[in-house]
Amino acid sequence: MSRTVALLLKGEVSSILKSLGARNLYKCYQCGTCTAACPLSEEVTASFRKAVKYAQLGLEEKIAADPAPWLCYACGECSEMCPKDAKPTEILAALRRYSIIKYDWTGFSKRFYLSKTFELMSIAILSILTALIVYLFKGPVITERVDLSAFAQPTVAIANIIVFGVLSLILLINIYRMYKFTTSQSSSSGKLPVSTYIAEFIKIIPYHFLTQRLMARCRDGKYYYTIHLLLFYGYAVIFVHHILRHMLLPLISPTLHLNEVASSIVGISAFVALILGSSLAIYGRIKKSTIIWEYSHPTDWVFITLLWLTSITGLLTDIFKYSGLPLPTYVTFTVHLMFVVPLLVLEVPFAKWSHLAYRPFALYFNRLNEIKQLRYKT
Amino acid sequence: MKPVVVVGGGIAGIQAALDLADQGVKVYLVEKSPSIGGRMAQLDKTFPTLDCSSCILTPKMVAVDRHENIELLTYAEVKEVVGEPGNFKVKILKKPRYVDVDKCTGCGQCVMKCPVKVPNEFNLGMDMRKAIYIPFPQAVPLKATIDPEHCLYFTKGVCRVCERFCPPKAINFNQKPEEIELNVAAIIVATGFSLDDARKRGEYGYGKYPNVYTNLEFERLLSSTGPTKGEIVRRSDGRHPKKIAFIQCVCSRDELTNKYCSAICCMASTKEAILAKEHLPDVECTIFFMDVRAFGKGYQEFFERAKQEFGVRFVRARPAKIEEDPKTRNLIVYYEDTETSRFTKEEFDMVVLAVALRPILPESLVKSGLIQPDNYGFADVPEMYIEPVRASKPGIFVIGVLQSPKDIPDSVIQAGAAAMRAAIYAISG
Repeated sequence: MSRTVALLLKGEVSSILKSLGARNLYKCYQCGTCTAACPLSEEVTASFRKAVKYAQLGLEEKIAADPAPWLCYACGECSEMCPKDAKPTEILAALRRYSIIKYDWTGFSKRFYLSKTFELMSIAILSILTALIVYLFKGPVITERVDLSAFAQPTVAIANIIVFGVLSLILLINIYRMYKFTTSQSSSSGKLPVSTYIAEFIKIIPYHFLTQRLMARCRDGKYYYTIHLLLFYGYAVIFVHHILRHMLLPLISPTLHLNEVASSIVGISAFVALILGSSLAIYGRIKKSTIIWEYSHPTDWVFITLLWLTSITGLLTDIFKYSGLPLPTYVTFTVHLMFVVPLLVLEVPFAKWSHLAYRPFALYFNRLNEIKQLRYKT
Repeated sequence: MKPVVVVGGGIAGIQAALDLADQGVKVYLVEKSPSIGGRMAQLDKTFPTLDCSSCILTPKMVAVDRHENIELLTYAEVKEVVGEPGNFKVKILKKPRYVDVDKCTGCGQCVMKCPVKVPNEFNLGMDMRKAIYIPFPQAVPLKATIDPEHCLYFTKGVCRVCERFCPPKAINFNQKPEEIELNVAAIIVATGFSLDDARKRGEYGYGKYPNVYTNLEFERLLSSTGPTKGEIVRRSDGRHPKKIAFIQCVCSRDELTNKYCSAICCMASTKEAILAKEHLPDVECTIFFMDVRAFGKGYQEFFERAKQEFGVRFVRARPAKIEEDPKTRNLIVYYEDTETSRFTKEEFDMVVLAVALRPILPESLVKSGLIQPDNYGFADVPEMYIEPVRASKPGIFVIGVLQSPKDIPDSVIQAGAAAMRAAIYAISG
C-alpha cells in the first residue's frame, strides 16, 4: 500500500520527464526491443527498457543512478523498431536532461530546463553583465593598430581564472554527485581498492572523452560522429589554445608568445570546424531530418544557437584582427564575449554541454559497478 | 419459411449451417474454395485439450454434406446482395470445376496422371499439388477440381491426360460459370482470416531466411497431411531442429502494423511448442512472449502444463531482430530477457513467428454497405453488447475471426448465436 502511494506521488517526476521530451513515455509496454536493437548493447551492459520503466514509475534515484541514458547516442534504431512507437530515443534524451538536473546541486539546472523564461532571462542577464564589465573595465582603445590584449587585459585574464575555477568546481561536484547516485543504487556494497579506481579511470575516461568511439558504432554513425567530432575538437582546440595563450604562457613568463601565424591558423580552423558542425546540426534540427533531430528541447536550441553565434563572432574577431581593423575587432570581440560567457557559464556545468563529462564518467562508474558485482557475487 | 445463406465454410460457417438446418431452416453454404473446412482443417491439434482437429471437424463437414436442409455451394462466391432483412436477393457465382461432380468418385486417378505441378495453397506453398487436385484427403465434397490458371489444356490447349484416365469420365472442359440467384431471409458471414504479411516486420527475416516460419506453416509441418507428412524438418536442409524459438505478437500489438491483440497466438504457440516436443522429444522450445493471455477455460492450466510437463521455456522478451548464420542457416535471435535485463544473442535452428490475424472481408457485402469495416478492418458490430453478432445492417450476421480475432470455441459459440438470430428472420419470413 505505502509503495503504491509512493509511486503515485512520483507522478510529478514523470510529468517533468514529459516536458523534457519523453512525449510517448507511457506507450512503452516493456518488451525490451530497444535494448536488443541497440548497436551498443553488445559492448556495454545496460537496459534501456529498464531506464524507460524507471521513468514511467518516476523513480528519481534509480534514474540518476542509471548509466543507460548516457550510453545512448540517439541513433534512433530503437525508435524505428519500437512496436509501440514509444520513441525510446526521445525518452533517453529526456532522461539525460533529467539526470543533469539531478546531478546539479545548485538547483539552477532544474529552473533552466523547466522554464523557457528563466532560460532566456539568465542568458540575457549574463550577456548584458558581460558587456557591462567589458565596458567598465576595458583597457585603452588603441585605434592606430589592433591591440586586443590592451583592450581586454587584464579583465579577461582575471575573469577567465575566476570563471574557469568556479565552473570546474561546480562540474566536479556534480560529477561526484553522479558517482554517489550510481553507488547508492548498486546492488553490491563491497569496496574496491583505490588502484582499481585509478586503473579504470585511466583506461576509460581519456579514451572515451577524446574519441567518443561508441558513437561511431551507432547505425549511420559516421555522419553524426563527424559532426560531433567537429564540435568537440573545434571546442577543445579553442579551449586549449585559449588557456595556453591567455592563461598559462603569460603566467609562466610575460615574454613567452605563441607563434602568431600558427596561432591564427589554429584559431581560425577551429572556429570554422565549430561553425560547420553547428550549422549542420541546426539545419538537421530545423529539417528534423532524422530521429536524432526529430525532437528539440528549448535548451537544445539555445545551446546550438549560442555555439553558432559564438563561433561566428569568434571567427569575425579573428578576421578583423588579422585585417588590421581595430574598432570592428573590439566590437565583435565584445559581442563574442556576450555569447561565450552564457555558453560556458550556463551550458558547461548546468546544461547540455555537461554531457561531455557525464558520458565518459557514466561508462567509468558503470564499469566500477560491474567489477564490484563480479567481485562480490553472491 | 425462407432460406438463409451462410458465406464461408470454415468451422464457424459449418456450425451455423448445421444449427440452422437442424431447426428445419433451408441453408445455402457458400464456400469460395473447392472444399469446406477452412483454417481448422489446416490445424493438427486444438488447444487446450490437444484433441485432433480433423477428428472434430471432419464429422461436421460430412454432416453438412449429408444434411437434407443444406445445399453446399463450394467453389462459389457471393457477387451481389441487395434487399432488406427478411428479403435479400443474393447473386452467387459458381465457378466451373471442369469436373462433373455427380460422376466424380474422388478416386484421384486424374491427380496422379496430371503432369503440372503448382504450389499447394493448403500447405501454404510448402509442397506442390497438381493442376487437377483434391485440396486435402478429407475434403468435402471429395471431388477433383481443375485449376484453369495452370492446366495445360487451358493455358496451351494440349494434354487432356486427366480426361483420358478418368474411370467414370467425369472431366468436362466445357463447363461454364453458373450464376445462381437466391431469395433469403438472412445472411451469416463467416469468411475468416489470413495471416498478415510477416515481411512487414523485416527484422525477423521471414521470406529471407528459410528456417523462419509462420505459425500456420508450422501447423502444417506438424500435420500428418502436411508437406513433410508430420515431420518437423528445416526448410534449408531437411534436418530436425534442436532448438525452436516461437516469437509472439509479430504484427500484433504493434503500432506499425496492427494495434490489436490477435487473441489466439499465446495458446496456439504453447500448443505448437508442446506438439514439437511430442514429435521430437529432445527439441528445446522457447516462447518469447510479453504477456501470456491465457483467458479461456483450461487455458491457464494448459500454459502451466507446457512449462512443467513439457519443459517449454518461456522468456519475457520481444526479440528485436534475427540474423542468419549463412553457413549453418541457424538463426541468431537478439533479445533482452526482461526478467534479468540481460541483452542476449541466442542461436536457434528454427524460428516460428506468431503472425497477426487479418480478416477477409467479403467485397460484395462491404461494397453494398451491409458490412462495415471497423478501425482495424474487421467487420463492425455496432451493438456489441446486446447483438454481438449483428453487422451494420440488420439481417446480416458476422461471426468468427472476420468479426474479431478469436479461437475455435468462441467462433462456434458465435455460430450458434447467429443461427438463432437468422432463424428468427427465416421462420417469420
